[in-house]
Amino acid sequence: MSNWSALQNRSFLESNARARAVGLVDEGSFTEFVGPFDRRTSPHLEVLGEAVEFDDGIVTGIGKIGKTPVFMISQEGRFIGGAVGEVGGAKMVGALKAARAFAEKIAKDFPKAKEEEKPIVVISFETGGVRLHEANAGLLAHAEVMDQFQRCRGIVPVVSVIGSKVGCFGGMGFVAAAADVVVMSEFGRLGLTGPEVIEQEMGKEEFDSADRGLVFRTTGGRHKYIMGDCNFLVDDTIAAFRKQLAELGKTPRAKFAEFRRIGSPELVEKQLKRVALAAEMQPKDARDVWAKAGNADPAALGNAPLDDFRKAVKRLTV
Amino acid sequence: METMEDMETLLGQGRQAIGLIFDPDSFTENKVGAKTFDDPDFGPGAVVGTAELDGKPVTVIANDADAFNEKFPVVYAGVIGMEEAYKMAQAVYATVAADAAKPKAEKQAIVLVVDTPGNGPGKTEEIFGMNKATGAYQLALAEARIAGHPIVAMVIGRAISGAFLCHGLQADQILSLDAKFGTMIHVMPLTSISRIVKKDIEVLEKLAEGNPVFAAGPQFFYRLGGVEEIVPTIEAMRATVIAHVAEVRGRKANGEDDTLGPWGRGALGAERGGRTVRPEVIALLEKELDAVASKYLPGAA
Amino acid sequence: MALNTIEFECKSAAPAALVGKPLHFGVVGSGDLEVLMEPKALKGAVAVKVVTPVSGFDELWRRVLATFVENSKLGDVSIEINDNNATPAVVMLRLRQALSEAAA
Repeated sequence: MSNWSALQNRSFLESNARARAVGLVDEGSFTEFVGPFDRRTSPHLEVLGEAVEFDDGIVTGIGKIGKTPVFMISQEGRFIGGAVGEVGGAKMVGALKAARAFAEKIAKDFPKAKEEEKPIVVISFETGGVRLHEANAGLLAHAEVMDQFQRCRGIVPVVSVIGSKVGCFGGMGFVAAAADVVVMSEFGRLGLTGPEVIEQEMGKEEFDSADRGLVFRTTGGRHKYIMGDCNFLVDDTIAAFRKQLAELGKTPRAKFAEFRRIGSPELVEKQLKRVALAAEMQPKDARDVWAKAGNADPAALGNAPLDDFRKAVKRLTV
Repeated sequence: METMEDMETLLGQGRQAIGLIFDPDSFTENKVGAKTFDDPDFGPGAVVGTAELDGKPVTVIANDADAFNEKFPVVYAGVIGMEEAYKMAQAVYATVAADAAKPKAEKQAIVLVVDTPGNGPGKTEEIFGMNKATGAYQLALAEARIAGHPIVAMVIGRAISGAFLCHGLQADQILSLDAKFGTMIHVMPLTSISRIVKKDIEVLEKLAEGNPVFAAGPQFFYRLGGVEEIVPTIEAMRATVIAHVAEVRGRKANGEDDTLGPWGRGALGAERGGRTVRPEVIALLEKELDAVASKYLPGAA
Repeated sequence: MALNTIEFECKSAAPAALVGKPLHFGVVGSGDLEVLMEPKALKGAVAVKVVTPVSGFDELWRRVLATFVENSKLGDVSIEINDNNATPAVVMLRLRQALSEAAA
């Protein structure tokens, strides 16, 4: 990835996992861990005669944005839909554990370190969750990632970045939501159950998975921003995501708890008010909730250029 | 009356299982620590409360397969919906709060009685964020586990995919009734996996004998370290849960937390020969970081 | 059912050491591949290892790689490919792109 500058204005949506990992940090600062040259392919795919990838579809490493060390985990949607198996799962778990140890080392050995010199973890999600070819190992890896997230709390902030083709669904949908911060582009999608399964469950009249607009309104970046499930909605370039991460790198670590949507009894109470609203509203469409949040013309808001959307939008305050 | 010896399955019988596992008539539903759950229509698919286990109070969290959540019609048959997941999280946080001042050794145990086929798969759930609800419950369990509460999950029926992640896989240790009682632990049944990976089911069954990573069933999760122990009979369930709560408490007292929870199951998976690549990959990553870490420390050029 | 591994060597008439340091290119998407190239003293030859779910196309792989090596004059390199049903045209394109990374 010699041309770092060219990566910056590239569409985040179109970029592969390694381009995102390299482009989100400073030029020349990225060191990959368990990369392609380590050839840690999945033994389970091999047994099934399925194509393997040298990095098992997950790029892990460390880079810097300004003075901030950034532990990077980046998922590749073009390789088996970004699904997580034993090797890729271990890379995620290992990177989170290493980030925590690194942050603890800085706290111990560099008591005068500035906030921006303390590490953050960035996970660029592009996945449907568990890789079915090694489903049991993938499932167990998800639980390990959640455990690491909880252990990272208050030690090293974890930032979810979502703006890739596959979106972020299945088990990784709740992993992403359990991070401290969620950054999305309007093309990012975040959820638990994929559109096809909802259609199968509720019928095509209730939810037509082929209706692209409906799918985006339900799980897309604009909707998640209105719901507060995404903290920052950025443009679809690597540079725009990078700029947001740079700001987060300078943000006092104690402030990260304020970005959270779940992870404390108080936040559970807050979310339950929304669940009560869901029960009361029985929304036919996400636009109903946008209107409830105070947006008079939700359809126009959904179609507005992103800058106008960000200026005009009212976010749900329940 | 049906005796335990006559029972062929506990699938769909979370409430009956509570009666079999805990001290007779000791279960008080809807009360955990200082918290009471007063609305009978709130998260009916989740059963929460306090029981005694061998004379000691424990928090109980179970599924009710007979409940139907009128407000969220995708929630029935043991499905964990938004209300259910947050209710379960509240029960965990109430347990943590009640023991906040107590030393680690005295933290109340939490027993998860697991029989759930999935998380709420609806449109409303996606609009409002089912992912947050299930994530919230997992974070609560992880927090309680790390704080010292022994958490044991007992799979009595279905422990399926994301719902098992939600309700089960954050426990310190996981027990499962033998597959002969109809217990199911999987992401997808082998028939569906066969269709998706385009391999004959006979071929997959043969492969599963040597490699437990994709086949459905508690015995495969056992080999991967995902299940600590298979419980051979329904009668043995109570004693086994008691023994594991004590064992977990003992390990925590000895500072052996690393042998418990999702991380401990990783080590167990390697020990049982089921997940041998995982520790190698983690060790390699740490080694490669060590080689460059100084470049990323404060003050480095 | 296991993966098919094809290993062979080819050599250009006028080989040049074009790859100075290890490089990686591509993603194993459907109909796509990734390639690793590493400098290796092979007396001008190119060692190739292809891992693919597809069997029965060993000769085609040899021909495509021989053509690429001859056209590019590539030598003293080990090439490893993880393939997932890429067509010869895609194979050729990815190999050229990988090599242009080496030049950049």
